Amino acid sequence: MNRRAAELRADAEAALSALPALMLSAERLAAAATSGLHGKRRPGTGEDFWQYRPATAGDTARSIDWRRSARSDAQFVRDREAEVAQSVVLWVSGAAGMDFSGAPARPTKTDRANLLALALVLALLGGGERVALAGQSPRPGRAQADRIGMALLSRAALTVDEDMPPPESLRPGQRVILIDDFLGDPAPVLAYLERAAALGIEGALLQILDPDEESFPYSGAVLFRSGSGALRHDTRDAGGLRAAYLARLAERRESLSRAAMQAGWHFGTHDTAAPPAQALLWLWSVLEG
Amino acid sequence: MLVLGPLGFLTPWLLAALAALPVIWLILRAMPPSPRLLRFPGTRLLLGLKDPQPVARHTPWWLLLIRVLAIAALILAFAGPIWKPAPDQAGQGPVLIVMDGGWAAAPDWPQRQARALRALDRAASGGQPAALLVADGTATGALPFQPAEELAARLRALQPAAWETRYPRNLDEVLSQLPPSLSVLWLSDGLDHPGRGELLSALQARAAVTVVPPQGPRVALEFVAGEQPALRLHMDSAGAAPAVLAVGLDPQGTPRQLARLEPGEAEAASQGVTSRLVPISLPSELRNRISRFEVEGQEVAGAVVLADDSLRRRKVALVGDDRASEGQRLLLPLHYLRRALAPRTDLIEGGIDDVLQASPDVIVLVDQLSLPFDEALQDWVDKGGLLIRFSGPRMAASERLADETLLPVRLRAGGRDIGGALSWGDPRGIAPFPAEGPFAGLAIPPDAMVRAQLLAEPSPDLAARTLAQLTDGTPLITRAPLGQGQIVLFHTTANAEWSNLAISGLFVRMLDRLVQTARASSEVPEVETDASTFWTPLQVLDGFGRSADPQDLVPIAAADFARGPAPGAPAGLYRAGERVLALNAGGPFARAVWPGAHMETVTAAPGIDLRGWLIALAALLFALDALGSAWLARGRQRAPGGRAAA
Repeated sequence: MNRRAAELRADAEAALSALPALMLSAERLAAAATSGLHGKRRPGTGEDFWQYRPATAGDTARSIDWRRSARSDAQFVRDREAEVAQSVVLWVSGAAGMDFSGAPARPTKTDRANLLALALVLALLGGGERVALAGQSPRPGRAQADRIGMALLSRAALTVDEDMPPPESLRPGQRVILIDDFLGDPAPVLAYLERAAALGIEGALLQILDPDEESFPYSGAVLFRSGSGALRHDTRDAGGLRAAYLARLAERRESLSRAAMQAGWHFGTHDTAAPPAQALLWLWSVLEG
Repeated sequence: MLVLGPLGFLTPWLLAALAALPVIWLILRAMPPSPRLLRFPGTRLLLGLKDPQPVARHTPWWLLLIRVLAIAALILAFAGPIWKPAPDQAGQGPVLIVMDGGWAAAPDWPQRQARALRALDRAASGGQPAALLVADGTATGALPFQPAEELAARLRALQPAAWETRYPRNLDEVLSQLPPSLSVLWLSDGLDHPGRGELLSALQARAAVTVVPPQGPRVALEFVAGEQPALRLHMDSAGAAPAVLAVGLDPQGTPRQLARLEPGEAEAASQGVTSRLVPISLPSELRNRISRFEVEGQEVAGAVVLADDSLRRRKVALVGDDRASEGQRLLLPLHYLRRALAPRTDLIEGGIDDVLQASPDVIVLVDQLSLPFDEALQDWVDKGGLLIRFSGPRMAASERLADETLLPVRLRAGGRDIGGALSWGDPRGIAPFPAEGPFAGLAIPPDAMVRAQLLAEPSPDLAARTLAQLTDGTPLITRAPLGQGQIVLFHTTANAEWSNLAISGLFVRMLDRLVQTARASSEVPEVETDASTFWTPLQVLDGFGRSADPQDLVPIAAADFARGPAPGAPAGLYRAGERVLALNAGGPFARAVWPGAHMETVTAAPGIDLRGWLIALAALLFALDALGSAWLARGRQRAPGGRAAA
């Protein structure tokens, strides 16, 4: 959290350099409710002219284009091309456990999550998309990247182990990227996915873990405390717990992955020892659809 | 005692604990290292997991070695190791241990017990019976001989008594069951006590007697009553006399040392026992606070003197004309006397008949004729009272002055007026006090003048009775003994009417000195063998001179009380009615001589006791262990992955 906003942004731009410009498939725009940059090549609410069509029963008198209709006997209605912007909502967990790194050389999970989030934001904004952090309204423009970067860095650290975006902030037509370690209580995540599926929202879960959390390299007597210290587990033989821990981790991933698939979401993992471009490419491909 | 080469063990069975060392090694080895604290976000995944096999990391071998060595050192220490133990000087048969149990045995009591235990050990290892005769006056009946092991517990529980060593009187009965080939070990306190010679000869007739003399000097402290209460320090060594500490409550109410008294020159030496007088030259405020005197560095009942009534404040009765109107109150003689005496004494006021019933130490008669109550007053002075009289206009005007009996000198009627308007002379000053009188050394203020006085008739013993005189040689204060008491007369008034003496500081100091010469009334009932008087203990001493509550001591009849500390009446403070008296154990003593007995030389050291060294070594090893453990724990915290834990 002690990195400057400019540094974070420079890193994010470095990570971004390998990416092609972002164009989201039009299919994804179909159900979008808010208008934006992409013409959908069909009538809808937009600003550009799309077609004149003969008025049919049900069209109100106000919708008839009288200038066009005066040139013939039939009444015509002026249709505009439907325009919908892709809006992407990102959310990075602020749980206490995210501020963890198993070795001084590795970045903390929060650092890595912020980097990935901002790289994605820059890519999306470069493609003209509207981006926001969960709970805020999506906006286009390069300035939004600065705001998001600031918001990510200036966030106050939480002292609890669970952090989830409020399910009420879900809006139809958005795509949602959740970046977390998903080591907390899985119930809120599953509830979130259920609600997103019900609203027809698609998205991705990216689980960021430290290599120590993936391999559990501990042995001997250890007093484990969760990030906030609320949960504790004391053991005399940590090495003997490794197999059980890894099994539980795999089970957790399996259940998240299954829940994501059922909701039409994607589930990916990333560890902080790997280069961030990997995870960014994966996110990219998910958004590419 | 088990002897292995140059090493002896007092309690060798404890060495069996060394067999437990390998077990201790294993237990210590399996002791888990201290856990480290780690912040780990995945803790939720660990919840409820059970340790498959608690595998302890092994403690480093050098830490184990330190611990086992420390425990071994402790075991060896408690087994009582002695380097080159001296062989027992007593014989090999049954043993009779005579322990002097009085206060004089207290200073080296642990050594005595150890010596007696050694003798018991020796008897026990030889399977011989033993008997213990504790000479504290409680032994009765024939001495039972028991297996030596059973006596050890009794011996360990013994404490010195707070009275003098007492030997049994019925020797024939006590010594009736002595086995043959007996050896006697007599742990003497070094002092001669009644009956010691008889016991020695009776024992020598039956067995070989080995006497263990005490270590260190014997010191006793004694209270010397008198005009000036003092202490007397008895000592049986020629070295420098220790100081005497006066202990009492300070003004805050905490007991502490109030003064330190240095003993004077050695007075008399008989058989090497010297005694020194320790004057209690303290201000009376301080003296009244003292609760006990003790010889510095001596924890013995005999070196403690408890302060009782004889050291306390004097009771002074004021008798005079107190009928004055408001305005004249500050001019009354009684006012000056009250102000002068109240800080250091307890004042009683009233008529003669009333104050005599309160048995005061001093009665001050101010300008009164004593004729009406001559008899009662004379009885009281006879028994040791101090009567101080002041002159005044009433006495000067009395026609029957010549008939007064309670006066130190015969007075001339009328008196003398030397500073008045109708006289020729000037007021006279006070001549310096004679060096041997009670006022010796007091400074006389140059402006103290006497204008009028009562004149004494010249007589041969007038000079001897004069305590202070004027510059022209006429007596100002006279004193005469009467029975056990004395009568003092001030030839001038107690107020400023005849003299300004009463408003000088000298007046206060003179009265103070006079009152100190009064004998405390509580010394009068010294040997009161009245059957109806019982003394209840308030506080008793043990043999080491430490105060203790009297647990459930029976009140002591006055006849027994007068005989001094004894079994059932330990040294301490006792109360009967309003009187508080101390029974002090110390007193003059004589050295014991042992004709024909074998003296055990103390100089032959009984070997070097290694226990203290071994315990110190164990403590050092434990400290090393603590340091090593701390170092290990620190190293563990620095282990990789500790960033979150740091």
